[in-house]
Amino acid sequence: MRPSRRMRRLTRIAFATIIGIVLAGPLIYLVAGSLMSPAQVDAATPQLIPSSWHFDDYVNGWKYVLQARTFLNSVIFVVCAVGLQWALCISGGLAITKMRFRGRTAITTMFAVSLFIPVVTTVIPVFVVTNQFGLINTYPGLIIPIAAQTGFGTLLFRQYIATLPQELFDAARIDGAGWWLLLRRLVVPLARPATAAYLAISVITAWNMYLWPLLSANAPHVEVLSEIVAAIGQGDNFGYTVTVPQQYAATVITIVPVVVAFLLVQPAFVRGLTGSGVE
Amino acid sequence: MPDTQAAPITHVRPQAAVRSTDGRAAVFMLGPNVVLFTVFVGVPIVLAFALSFFAWDLNGAPTWVGLANYTAMFKDPLVGISVKNTLYFVAMGVIPTVFISLGLAMLINFQFRGVTIVRSLYLIPAAVSLAASAVIWQYIYEPKFGLLSYVFNEVGIAPPSQGFLFTPGWALPSLDVVCIWTTLPIGVLLYLAALQRIPESVIEAATLDGAGWFRRTRYVIWPGVSNMTLLVAIISLIAFTASGFDLVNILTKGQPIYGTETLIYYVYYSAVTNSQWGYAAALSVLQFVIIVGILAILAAARQFLVRRP
Repeated sequence: MRPSRRMRRLTRIAFATIIGIVLAGPLIYLVAGSLMSPAQVDAATPQLIPSSWHFDDYVNGWKYVLQARTFLNSVIFVVCAVGLQWALCISGGLAITKMRFRGRTAITTMFAVSLFIPVVTTVIPVFVVTNQFGLINTYPGLIIPIAAQTGFGTLLFRQYIATLPQELFDAARIDGAGWWLLLRRLVVPLARPATAAYLAISVITAWNMYLWPLLSANAPHVEVLSEIVAAIGQGDNFGYTVTVPQQYAATVITIVPVVVAFLLVQPAFVRGLTGSGVE
Repeated sequence: MPDTQAAPITHVRPQAAVRSTDGRAAVFMLGPNVVLFTVFVGVPIVLAFALSFFAWDLNGAPTWVGLANYTAMFKDPLVGISVKNTLYFVAMGVIPTVFISLGLAMLINFQFRGVTIVRSLYLIPAAVSLAASAVIWQYIYEPKFGLLSYVFNEVGIAPPSQGFLFTPGWALPSLDVVCIWTTLPIGVLLYLAALQRIPESVIEAATLDGAGWFRRTRYVIWPGVSNMTLLVAIISLIAFTASGFDLVNILTKGQPIYGTETLIYYVYYSAVTNSQWGYAAALSVLQFVIIVGILAILAAARQFLVRRP
């Protein structure tokens, strides 16, 4: 009995590991492709491990395909959209959880209903609104409509703030603390786990977003990385000077930061997904 | 609430004091959120319906056309094709995602040395954007030198003649594979969380009662994770609806012969390429009705799922 159980365990570990390699395989394959020469990529027998290595593709991929400006645009977009949305959500979450005012239930319901309306069904009218403000191909036009999608975040913070002891709020209010002070000194520090969960989901979503940037920001000065990566997928050859491995290297550069971040924050990521009210 | 009896007395004063100032403070605290939400979420929802009764090229004034956009939709063969493709794409994506991710979660739901590294391999694709996934899979699907064509030839199956992405019948499932690849890890993560909440003793009891692997899965684990199944299905539904644009716009542009024309891609195409913003709005309304319909079906299916046999 003993050895057979041990064998079964080892088989399961081996099987789980092989499946894992298969699942991560496509990404590993792209990394391999990014380290090849153009001839190696087109070899009749695909190479899983490059027969010779070419790291300079990364330098050229960064210089000619991605460019610092686009990378910076992506960072600006993610930091501003998520930062602004976070501020709106945590303050709004506090308001609808702990403050008393008319219309509170109606506003809470409005946020909840919005969760069931996917962004794809409203993206055309959102573009129309943004266009009416004259914000197409500007940073505010790229950022604000995404920051304004506060339904999920506000409810996430509402749920978390509701679990904080009421006594803390009462004590602070009796001591004469205003709501603003309460938000900064009490809610923001205590809601750190909720903030982590919120950031894990929002940052990855924003970094990977494609349809909205394509609609609202397709001029070179505001373009973000996903648009460049999409152009690679569409077979844009970036003026005939850029090789296929350089394009793959550029793609890998855009993937790595999110993959690393995601692996570091995945417990928070799960809390965010399950905290959305369904579980 | 353990001290409900004492609560009213201690709470009367502070709350009375609080109530008088909350209204004004709430405007500052919640106002910016509600204003932006209204302008960029509320107004667009209303606008989608309103615009669907107009003809508009984005410049100049919209022209009232009544129900003309809707009657045009019924006569437009592309609408039927894109709805059919969307439903097929979503069904062929969501259903495998749910079952495969549960299977994978069960497979790695045990402790061993290096479990963190192995799990990471399962999770990595979730962080890869659809745009980057498109680049990856285009490399794999490449008709002449691609890895998958090579594997097909080695095994002795002829790869599809126009390549995986451009042979009718192959294109849509090939796109599904890409999106399943990026969505699976989220299902695995969620199911892992759900599995860890099923007490070991329940599974042991079932085993002692003589339940085999299949019966344990069907009668203990499947009902135990049913809440999560609904969440995985909803998240996948939204992922596949979105990828119906991202992947199609990057990889196939609706080809071959409208084989990958999805509704969301047709919405984009009508608006941006054809400048028919009123018609695109009407199509958005259709898209909205379909998604809400699927969500309603999922909610109903949940009743069926949670029912223990």
